[in-house]
Amino acid sequence: MKTNKKQFLTGAEVVVRACVDAGAKMMFGYPITPGTEILSHWIREAQSRLIGGQADKSLKYLQTEDEIAAGFCMCGAVMAGEKTFTATAGPGTVLMQDALSMADGMRLPVVVIVVQRGGPSSGTVIYSQQEVNLAIHGGNGEGLRLVYSPSNLTELYEYTRLAFNNAWKYNFPVIVLSDGFLMKTRQLVDLEKIKIKNIETEAIISENTQKNIRNIYTFEEELGEKLARDKKDFEKMAGEVIMSEVFCGRGQVETCPYEELVIAHGIVAGAAKEAVNALRLAPLAQGKKVGLFRPITLSPFPAKELNELAKQAKKIFVVESSMGQLRDLVKQNLEVAVEVSGLYKPAEGIESEEIVKLLNC
Amino acid sequence: MNLKILLSGDGGQGIQLMSDLVCRAAIQRGFFVSHIPNYGLEQRGGVSLAFIQISDSEIAYPKFSKPDITLILSHQAEERTAKFSITNSQFSVKDYEEILKKNNIPHQSYNMFFLGLLARMLGEKGVLQREKVFELLREKLEKKPNWEENKRAWELTKNIRY
Repeated sequence: MKTNKKQFLTGAEVVVRACVDAGAKMMFGYPITPGTEILSHWIREAQSRLIGGQADKSLKYLQTEDEIAAGFCMCGAVMAGEKTFTATAGPGTVLMQDALSMADGMRLPVVVIVVQRGGPSSGTVIYSQQEVNLAIHGGNGEGLRLVYSPSNLTELYEYTRLAFNNAWKYNFPVIVLSDGFLMKTRQLVDLEKIKIKNIETEAIISENTQKNIRNIYTFEEELGEKLARDKKDFEKMAGEVIMSEVFCGRGQVETCPYEELVIAHGIVAGAAKEAVNALRLAPLAQGKKVGLFRPITLSPFPAKELNELAKQAKKIFVVESSMGQLRDLVKQNLEVAVEVSGLYKPAEGIESEEIVKLLNC
Repeated sequence: MNLKILLSGDGGQGIQLMSDLVCRAAIQRGFFVSHIPNYGLEQRGGVSLAFIQISDSEIAYPKFSKPDITLILSHQAEERTAKFSITNSQFSVKDYEEILKKNNIPHQSYNMFFLGLLARMLGEKGVLQREKVFELLREKLEKKPNWEENKRAWELTKNIRY
């Protein structure tokens, strides 16, 4: 059997595995579809976890009265030095912004798993990619947040692990921006092959030391200076954490020449890979010179990588389950004059066949 | 190979359970498997869909609109799945009602008949062992009510023409 180390897991189970393996000790949350199972699986894990045959009571949880409370509780717990996270979706992500903005201002290492669902408002409980803007710029301030966009379950595990490490290394809020499809999908995954060393944590505030972490400033210059320092730290972090992927078909090198560049993120990039494969492998006469660029960190955005690729592209196609939130990010960062068009299906899934059709038009 | 299977029925008809058994049996044969459920807001009475893919390589995207095999277990599900491309391998409760009635299969065991049919077809395609599905099914349901009826519905599909 080829499957001895692989497990058949849902996205929510993968997230909980990642959080446990990252050394997270506490989850605050308020249930909302399609992210509820993260909370329920975490609770089950906390209640039934055994280490060496003994009940392990070190994992804690609290279902708060709403997402606002969950977010602020998380801010408190990380100050005490515990790796803490929450998970939310749609309208819950909206309510979470107050606490996230405070975490941004106070440089708190919080981790939020966002499970995108259709919007506006309650929208649908199923799926979308409409929380990109919210994930990056949902708070008042400058949106100094690290945002990962995983496109499959293995990456969901990997980037959730990285989220904790980088939150505690750089002290910026980290969001793992997933979606309802990814969270509900169950696939065979081999998580043991992913080796990541956990970062050690330290209490930001302890009972014995007095420390005043501010989230309000008396003078405008004070805040201005603080923000300038934060921005500098964020840019330094960017150089170390920015991730992206170039794909030119299975077995092809990343430097292959192409004329058309598809840009997608998250689970849609999975479909886009299939499309690129199909187009590249089409009989020679029709085989298209097409590549995929996938930002893995949406914030900070891999602008340098994008522009390198855009230089050789004749046309860019943005494909996303929103009306253009990724396109706007692309356009903001694009320094090369190249035509940008795309396929925008807010709150609906996009299959590889649709992308093939778009490029064959 | 990437075989796409769409199961559909009313909420409570066991669509997700059926998917689970089929996936686990295919995993035992060493295949890559993906399953994603789709249901509405209703706690009961809505349509439940399951998108399954069984492949010999990694599966990049869980959804699809062109299933190779479709099971339709209710009238409501018929309407919901109408937008998916009709395939030759489409099995609807309306086509088998006569056989089911003739054999006195109670309505709540219809799903086992269709699971049996699906397992047989997938067994013939070599993506799973039909008996493995039954083994998993027995583990799950043997001690629950109506097991004899469920087993009878399953067994009815052994020699049926499809």
